Amino acid sequence: MKKTGISKESKIKDTGVILLFVLPALIPLIIFWIYPIICSMWISFTNWDFMTPEYKFVFLNNYISLFKDKRFYEALLNTGIFTIGTMVPTILGGLLLALLLQKNFKGNGFFKFILFSPWITPSVAISIVWTWIFQPEDGIANMILGFFHLPALKWMSSSQTAMISVIIVTVWKSLGYAMIFYLTALQRVSHELYEASSMDGAGKWRQFKDMTLPLISPTTFFLMIITMVNSLQAYDQIQILTQGGPSGSTSTLLYMYYQLGFEEFNMGKATAVAVIMILITVILSFIQFFASKKWVHY
Amino acid sequence: MGTLLGVDMKPENTKNVFINGIEQFFRFLILIIVSIFTAFPFIWMVISSLKTKKEIMDVAVLFPPNPKWGNFLYILTKSPIPKYIFNSFAVTILIVSIQIITGAMITYAIVFLKFKGRHTLFAIIMGTYMLPVAATYIPSYIILANWNLLNHFSGLVISSTVSIFGIFLLRQSFMQIPKGLVEAARMDGGSNFRILWEIVCPMTKSSFITFGLMSFISTYNNYMWPSLITNDENKYMVSQGIRSFFIEGGAYGTKWQLVMAGSAVIVIPLLIMFAFTQKWFINGIGGDTGMKG
Repeated sequence: MKKTGISKESKIKDTGVILLFVLPALIPLIIFWIYPIICSMWISFTNWDFMTPEYKFVFLNNYISLFKDKRFYEALLNTGIFTIGTMVPTILGGLLLALLLQKNFKGNGFFKFILFSPWITPSVAISIVWTWIFQPEDGIANMILGFFHLPALKWMSSSQTAMISVIIVTVWKSLGYAMIFYLTALQRVSHELYEASSMDGAGKWRQFKDMTLPLISPTTFFLMIITMVNSLQAYDQIQILTQGGPSGSTSTLLYMYYQLGFEEFNMGKATAVAVIMILITVILSFIQFFASKKWVHY
Repeated sequence: MGTLLGVDMKPENTKNVFINGIEQFFRFLILIIVSIFTAFPFIWMVISSLKTKKEIMDVAVLFPPNPKWGNFLYILTKSPIPKYIFNSFAVTILIVSIQIITGAMITYAIVFLKFKGRHTLFAIIMGTYMLPVAATYIPSYIILANWNLLNHFSGLVISSTVSIFGIFLLRQSFMQIPKGLVEAARMDGGSNFRILWEIVCPMTKSSFITFGLMSFISTYNNYMWPSLITNDENKYMVSQGIRSFFIEGGAYGTKWQLVMAGSAVIVIPLLIMFAFTQKWFINGIGGDTGMKG
């Protein structure tokens, strides 16, 4: 924009315009995003119980009590298992499906429709359906296992299989999402591939390993971060399927946060968990960002 | 013509056809298996919703001989589920409209208005995108409690007026617009509002549609936040509503056929909507990851 000499008035007007465009989004963003995160950090240093207005500054006590709490380590471990257990099948499965659907053929669009559809349905309603499928006595899952002469499982009612049940539902829901990202990436890659590989007669597998995989690595990187962040925030399916049980076997950090904050009203300790979750997200993003420099080819 | 070349090509051709055939076969086999696994919960939901109380407890009855459409009639006329759907629908439309306006405006400012700190502003917004939204819930809950907005739709609306994801999506496509175009419109004396409305929006229509649809889905389906700030049964959104309908059956055995009919009433309209808008999701999501390929 060109500024002329008489621009003091127009500068004020410009500032006004900028504020007018920025504030409608910025004010809610500050009130419901930025302030709450800072506020959470503050609450995590207090012993506030939500019921009474008084509270004391206890500094790191909430964190110390968390680090002494067996439940916290269980939740941490469960979060790790859940994250890896969802991330690996989602990414590998999404890539496989995208490879299969990459070529245009009859029915291609129909498969895409089916495979992506879970992502748009509400996790709560669909987790209820899965609860019904997983019923140990009269659920269809055990009947199908029986059909293949496999032993019946207790699914969500046993601490050994509850996590697997939650992971199955989560992967089921996010597979199509990963597939869509890979489809776009493969489409972009395919042009470059045509030119390069047709001349040196490389085998399909070599071509995939040496050309396609590196070229789609930005998408893999992106999906890793996204599934990680989503896993850290998974709540709906856990709340419906297992409520964190049996005996804490599916209680993740977020679920522990919910229980501490909104069931036990231990706001100090709950926000301490929230702050730890934020730190984990930040650290993992950094690690992935730097690790990605080694294997992501932009 | 029996040229050398023709003779040479022949066996290789049949071999290729053969290999292609096998490839096709496995391609379809895997796709069909995964598709059945994916569609199965929907199918089973619908089948179960058409059973009687007795049929549903008997695993051997896969298909109900006489579909009980009455279960759906019950859900539509005698259960609170239509009310929850209406609540979600109305609140979601309002939220999405506001998010589109606030998102378009701040993105326009970040991309087309030059001011100090706009890069910082965008960095801050980008930073919050990754953070777990649940970490904000306790202070946000307190804010709404202080404003007496718990159990009010307006509390839900005003705490959801910005979509960070949407700002990303819009920024991605606003950047594609040649800066000169906007400059020229400004020279002609167009106000920023008119430039946004008459030039930028039409050119980026598809990302607005994707934004609207994605935001609609996530707001409509949202569970944790609405359920934390609402305990008035008349103001439940669908997710919280179907959960309470599910829990009510409680200790004396869930009426699965009705619970499934309720879920179907919620899920099927979304699937139909998706069938008509599929391309906006599929092209929009994959295309805007913000990365060079």
